Amino acid sequence: MKKKILLKVWIVLIVLTVSVALVANLTLSISFTAIIILSLSILKFLGVSFYFMELKKAHVFWKAAVLMYVFLFFVIIIILL
Amino acid sequence: METITVNKNKLYYPPGGILLWIIIFLELFTFGMALIAMVFYSKYEPEVFHNSRLLLNSTFGAVNTVFLLTSGFFMAISVKSFKKNNIKKTTYFLRLTMFGGILFLVLKSVEYYFKIESGYTIGYNTFFSFYWMLTLFHVIHVIVGLVILFNIYIGFKQQKSSNSVEDFESSAAFWHMCDLIWLLLFPVVYLIF
Repeated sequence: MKKKILLKVWIVLIVLTVSVALVANLTLSISFTAIIILSLSILKFLGVSFYFMELKKAHVFWKAAVLMYVFLFFVIIIILL
Repeated sequence: METITVNKNKLYYPPGGILLWIIIFLELFTFGMALIAMVFYSKYEPEVFHNSRLLLNSTFGAVNTVFLLTSGFFMAISVKSFKKNNIKKTTYFLRLTMFGGILFLVLKSVEYYFKIESGYTIGYNTFFSFYWMLTLFHVIHVIVGLVILFNIYIGFKQQKSSNSVEDFESSAAFWHMCDLIWLLLFPVVYLIF
């Protein structure tokens, strides 16, 4: 993984963190806000796992396992909210 | 400069090693189930969860997210430098990684101090029971991660370093796991209720 790519990913992660904090302060409906917040947080999760942890270079099994985990987590939380 | 390469495109060798990834998934499932339980219980006491969530300082949470993400970024650069056999850069970025972790713990301690002083302890209500259990469990992981990184750092400082790429990648994977857990905790505990 090139350093420039890592730097770009880090910048995106910081921008997403600020976006999440801003969205949380908006006066939208609670469930809509939660969907946006969780979606952005899952993007950050995937950024860290695929780029910082180099999962991008790993076997497809590990990529699929992480994607499956975040998908299930997202769906269950949204259903329960 | 000699570059050390490890073939990761194998099922049995994800970056950091299969055993560490089994631990990572176990941890993610544990925290995931606890967060799902928290959301489930919020249905019974929506006002308590909403009012309690407002008592948390989400700015502290966001700043802590930045600390951990930045620390994770330095960790990734450190691993990259190690693979290029650049030990000087490796230790430099490793120090920055640990500094990020320490900043996280300092800010978390400040947050805990204010919560305890205000009386929002683990038995205050259901929300704070989850808050304390989840965040303290995560803090323990960060402390363990820091101990592992410090151990690796000491290994680099010795005349003949005993650290292998696999060891270093495993340590890095554990550290990134702390990021991953926090990235799930922060939105659920601090923002969505």
